[in-house]
Amino acid sequence: MIEDRELDTWRKQWSSVAEPPAEFQRKVQQRIKREDRRFVLGNLLTVIAFLGILIFALFVRHQSNLMGTGWATGICVLAFVSAGYRVWGLRGTWRPQTQSTRAFVELWHKRVAARIRLLRISIYVSLGWIIFCAALTAANWTTIGQGVKAHPKDWVEVLVACVLMQPVIWCWAAWLRRRKLAELNEVKKILDEMDGKSVP
Amino acid sequence: MSETRRALEQQFDRILSEYGAAISRLAFSYEAVASVREELVQEIALAIWQALAHFRGECSERTFVYRIAHNRGLSHVWRRRPPHQPLEEIEESDQPVDPRPHPEEQAARTGQRVRLMSAIQSLPVTHRQMIVLMLEGLSHAEMAEVMGITENNVAVRLNRARKTLKDALGERP
Repeated sequence: MIEDRELDTWRKQWSSVAEPPAEFQRKVQQRIKREDRRFVLGNLLTVIAFLGILIFALFVRHQSNLMGTGWATGICVLAFVSAGYRVWGLRGTWRPQTQSTRAFVELWHKRVAARIRLLRISIYVSLGWIIFCAALTAANWTTIGQGVKAHPKDWVEVLVACVLMQPVIWCWAAWLRRRKLAELNEVKKILDEMDGKSVP
Repeated sequence: MSETRRALEQQFDRILSEYGAAISRLAFSYEAVASVREELVQEIALAIWQALAHFRGECSERTFVYRIAHNRGLSHVWRRRPPHQPLEEIEESDQPVDPRPHPEEQAARTGQRVRLMSAIQSLPVTHRQMIVLMLEGLSHAEMAEVMGITENNVAVRLNRARKTLKDALGERP
């Protein structure tokens, strides 16, 4: 009986804790409209980006030299493979919000683990891209060499920009990976809590 | 606007009217700062709206709402660490106005409420969820559906969670 009285007291205190914020429904409707617009804009930008890549590839291919075709094919393959791998990596983890808490946390764990894998692979891909570019340049050195001799300053600038970009990308990937690892630990802690391993 | 969209909007408005207060209380257990909590409440409502089109009645509407709200709360806890705010930092504006005329009684009630909230916010997330669902009056079966565990497990965990809450309340002045 004491237990029930205790629960009743808590319930009384709890039910008077908070009311929905003022103009709650209107604010939510505004937010939904904003999210709808963002969703449409995001999809539009994705379509434009992919069409842009395709047009760029066709345009460069039209120039009909091996270097241009190689670049265009490389960029297209990279873009489509990255997008495809991302979708494949996150398969089976969609719409986790409606699942039970246990399933939600398990899906969360899966998603974070997939993102960490994706980051690791993106490092390898960026290394592969450098090797691909170097091989392409070496294969076309007779054409490129003339350009380098004619405008050496321009080529040095391009080279320095490329060299500086790589550490920036790697540092960003490393920072993101650390963040994701911390998130993975947190999710593991919640899973342990659910299994009763770390709860007092 | 299509008929389906209109029906969804009506259902959504009804859910907000019916569960708006519960969502706010639940958000209180995950976030003590009023402005951030308001944001969290909106995020929960948005998540409900986004999921509503795919809701096929696999569980009760109540379970559906609480599942989404708790899952959003969990994500919020991760994004905004540390989640717990000390008792004295809970904003004064968070306290609802009590119409009772006696200021002493009102102060005592407010004190108890703040103590309870602070104690709930200090619990591990799984205990916090059990306590919140219990205070919202969900049955063991509903709690099991929200949490994704068996009913027997609910009873065991609920006992543990209540004990932890009592301990937390005991430690607080």
